[in-house]
Amino acid sequence: MSDTDGTSVLRARGLRKEYGKQAGLVRAVDGVDVDVAAGETLAVTGPSGCGKSTLLHLLGGLDRPSAGEIWLAGRRVDQLSERALARLRRDGIGFVFQAFHLMEELNAVENVELPALLSGRSARWARRRASALLDQVGLADRARHLPSQLSGGQRQRVAIARALVGDPRVVLADEPTGNLDSEATLDVLRLFESLHDAGQTLVIVTHDPRIAATADRMISMRDGAFVDETRLTGGTTGNLGALAGLEG
Amino acid sequence: MQQEVVLAMLAKEPSHGYQLRARLQQALGPAGEAMNAGQIYVTLSRLEKAGLVICEQTTGLPDRPDRKVYELTAAGQQRVTDWIADVSWPGPGLAEFHLKLIAAAGARLADPLAIINAQRRELLRRLRDAQRAAMAEPERSDAALLLEGIAGRLQADLRWLEACERNWTGREDR
Amino acid sequence: MGKVRLVGRLVARDLRRRPAQAVLLLLAITAATAILTLGLALHGVASHPYQQTRAVTNGPDVVAEIAGPAAAPHGPGGAPKNNPAPLNEARALARLPGVTAYSGPYLQTTAVLRVRGLASVTQIQGRDAAAAAVDQPKVTAGSWVSPGGAVLERTFAEALGVGVGDRVTLNGRPYRVVGLAVTAASTPYPNMCEVGCTFNGPPGAPQGTGKPGLAWVTVSDARALDAQDLVPGPYVVNLKLEDPATAEAFAFRYGGGSNPPPTAPAMVGWQAIASADALLITDQQTVLSVGAWLAGVLAVASVAVLAGGRMAEHTRRVGLLKAVGGTPGLVAAVLLAENVVVALAAAAAGLLAGWLAAPLITSPGAGLVGSPGAPSLTLPTAGLVIGVALAVALAATLVPAARAARTSTVSALADGVRRARRRATLIKLSRRLPVPLLLGLRLVARRPRRAALGAASIAVTVTGLVAVIAFHTMAGEKRFGSGGLSNPVAIRDEQMLLVLTVALVALAVLNAVFTAWAAALDARHSSALARALGATPRQVSGGLAAGQMLPALAGALLGIPLGIGLFKAVNGSGQAVVPSASWLVTVVLATLVGVALLTSIPARITARRPSAEVLAAETA
Repeated sequence: MSDTDGTSVLRARGLRKEYGKQAGLVRAVDGVDVDVAAGETLAVTGPSGCGKSTLLHLLGGLDRPSAGEIWLAGRRVDQLSERALARLRRDGIGFVFQAFHLMEELNAVENVELPALLSGRSARWARRRASALLDQVGLADRARHLPSQLSGGQRQRVAIARALVGDPRVVLADEPTGNLDSEATLDVLRLFESLHDAGQTLVIVTHDPRIAATADRMISMRDGAFVDETRLTGGTTGNLGALAGLEG
Repeated sequence: MQQEVVLAMLAKEPSHGYQLRARLQQALGPAGEAMNAGQIYVTLSRLEKAGLVICEQTTGLPDRPDRKVYELTAAGQQRVTDWIADVSWPGPGLAEFHLKLIAAAGARLADPLAIINAQRRELLRRLRDAQRAAMAEPERSDAALLLEGIAGRLQADLRWLEACERNWTGREDR
Repeated sequence: MGKVRLVGRLVARDLRRRPAQAVLLLLAITAATAILTLGLALHGVASHPYQQTRAVTNGPDVVAEIAGPAAAPHGPGGAPKNNPAPLNEARALARLPGVTAYSGPYLQTTAVLRVRGLASVTQIQGRDAAAAAVDQPKVTAGSWVSPGGAVLERTFAEALGVGVGDRVTLNGRPYRVVGLAVTAASTPYPNMCEVGCTFNGPPGAPQGTGKPGLAWVTVSDARALDAQDLVPGPYVVNLKLEDPATAEAFAFRYGGGSNPPPTAPAMVGWQAIASADALLITDQQTVLSVGAWLAGVLAVASVAVLAGGRMAEHTRRVGLLKAVGGTPGLVAAVLLAENVVVALAAAAAGLLAGWLAAPLITSPGAGLVGSPGAPSLTLPTAGLVIGVALAVALAATLVPAARAARTSTVSALADGVRRARRRATLIKLSRRLPVPLLLGLRLVARRPRRAALGAASIAVTVTGLVAVIAFHTMAGEKRFGSGGLSNPVAIRDEQMLLVLTVALVALAVLNAVFTAWAAALDARHSSALARALGATPRQVSGGLAAGQMLPALAGALLGIPLGIGLFKAVNGSGQAVVPSASWLVTVVLATLVGVALLTSIPARITARRPSAEVLAAETA
């Protein structure tokens, strides 16, 4: 069964992830349907333990669903072998983690070029692409710095650059600002906005409302299922002055 | 327009009405766009009546409002000093919303959770606007600072709304 | 006292919680101590068997060989008449000062012994059926000489594969083997001529057929065989001295000194024979002592890897101990006590294993009477072995213990993980390599010390293997083809080398498993991350394997010249023996394949956890 809707980059039907058996059965994700259009930013929010991170791992191929189907750019991906999934992660999906997960002994540009090297690109091509991406995220002058010499926000930006190396169809971000202070969060926020403006499809799991507010669409999860969906584009009914305490 | 705010703007030096307005506009940025020009003059005349401000007519065209120069009186100065030392922090609308939920649930007028979700959607949209506006401003500008504050308030309110949702969800089971 | 009990309790609890690692440590040290025990046991054994044989056979102090009478007429039918000359000379020898008893003269001739397609030159001695006063060979199987019946020296019979009752021919004449015996008057096959032998090959003897054997027949049979010679064979006289210690001096003085005239009797003292005896096991001793050193080095390397691998936990436990008030002294005491306990247990196990295995090695010269039984476990031996075991444990754990005791409590609690070092050149180099090599080289760069240890242990193993192969090469070149007889010395040497090879390889395997396991655990996070970034599982496990194989290759290549050098040093002779290229290539390839296989097990096991889980668990 192939995806007939041409603009849907990522699609899932009836996703389920269960752990344990019988009495100890835990449904981390319980019958979820997702549709992500090209160029859309989708935010998934919910209290901790609601299964949003698990959902993202399933969509990114880092974990296998107990049931359900996933399509990426019209291609069925939930039944792929580990090897094929790995190839998928090279240029179909970019992943951004809460803990950054940069290699401590590699500097910024070496970290960013790693997925390109792993997919067999030449060293020169990988280095050029990595430098260009670091420039795009505004860290060109920190290319030779080690992660220990970068602030939290800078590290996450390096991680985002790394996720973009393969020019992925969709970038999945799992609590990208979870470990960052508010100023670093703004840096990442700006970056997500610019990516969105450039047409990158994003799925962001977050419980930070600031990040959620950057999305075009927001989905709330509870106990493994979607409970609410909001379209955030479109004007507001209030004015900012009133929010600041200015009357009338 | 809050009276003390206008008084404080005059503390630096006597100004024309239009100068005051310009200064306020610059300090508020987009949040001040909805501000009515006439409000300032209304506030200024009230302050004059209260004896906190005196008004001098500059030479030239008579009775044109923008030709008046406003200045603080001693009482006005004192008022500004007191206001600056005051730490009360008025919070907008919490009690109102809180009562709204209770009334709606009690009289079965509407589902409290639906009210909460609707409010959340609205606040999220406003947060989005505030964030976008903040990013459009130059960094470290006064406007950006204010917008950051607005965003922060909205976040706090959103957090409270989440708590409301948790709380009101539990109530259904009782 | 309370402190000691506390330390004891901590150590006991720790060993209970992680028995596997303690067991591995135990195995490593046990192997080393067992080899050491064997070496020491064998060392003390060499002289015993000869003494036993001497006592049982009433062995001579001096053996003299007097020439046969020149041009003695042979009677009709070829049998020589009884010639008085040798008897007179024997009596003359017996009258020399210091001689207390004598036996002989016994006619000695040579013949070619053939059996089942094998042929060997044999020295034949004619003997009476009655027991001689000095040197009466002890029959270990069958009975003593009888007409038509020959008694073979025991080791010679073993080389021929001949037993009592078999039929052989001597110079074409049929004889039956009626018994096997041992003697102290001559060195067992194949070293009989180490103390000098003179014999003329009989007509028809195969030329250059290596080392002769020894057999006894009746006097008349000996004369019949001797009749076929051009010159009548020499006669052997066995002497017993008042003071056996002076045998060498006696032999030198009356045997004609340093330039013996042709008519002087050739004499040899019992000490020379005894040391020639030991030749049978000298090689084995050398092999054992060298092997013990190699095994010791490997054991230290194993222990170091184990200790290093546990250092992360150590550091955290140190932090805990310090946080609850332990002094640096207490901390060090706990860490050392653990390893000392294991080392002592290993020493005991190794001593036991070595003591039980020693008789298998030390049933030496079948040519010497019996086996000396289990070599006695002397106190110095036991003390040395225990000392070595403790030293190994201490050497490998002193550094981590000292470091752990020095780290501040906070840092010890906060992170027990060693920070990876950055090697910019290796990282740059690895970028151009295919993915498994890229990952492997970077793994090596992260933990250079562990890679060096792995390379060192492979180098030591390959050194041993190459030395063994060099021995085989040399033995192959020098193998005397006495029509296919087996060489008892070579057999024993090969047995010993086999034991050594097995021990070295076993230790190396242990080492490789430890290192691979530690490396796989260490690389868990980066492996999971690599997979999340698009590396296939095969590439990742290939990377882990490459991370082990690169140091192994370096170690194997280093081990080749070291092994050749080691053999040269041990062998003593001038030239270095270089094994054939195909052997060397085989060793290197086998090492690489072995390492790759051993790495694949922990790699596969650690790869089972899904990446998401590993990445969520570790934030490093």
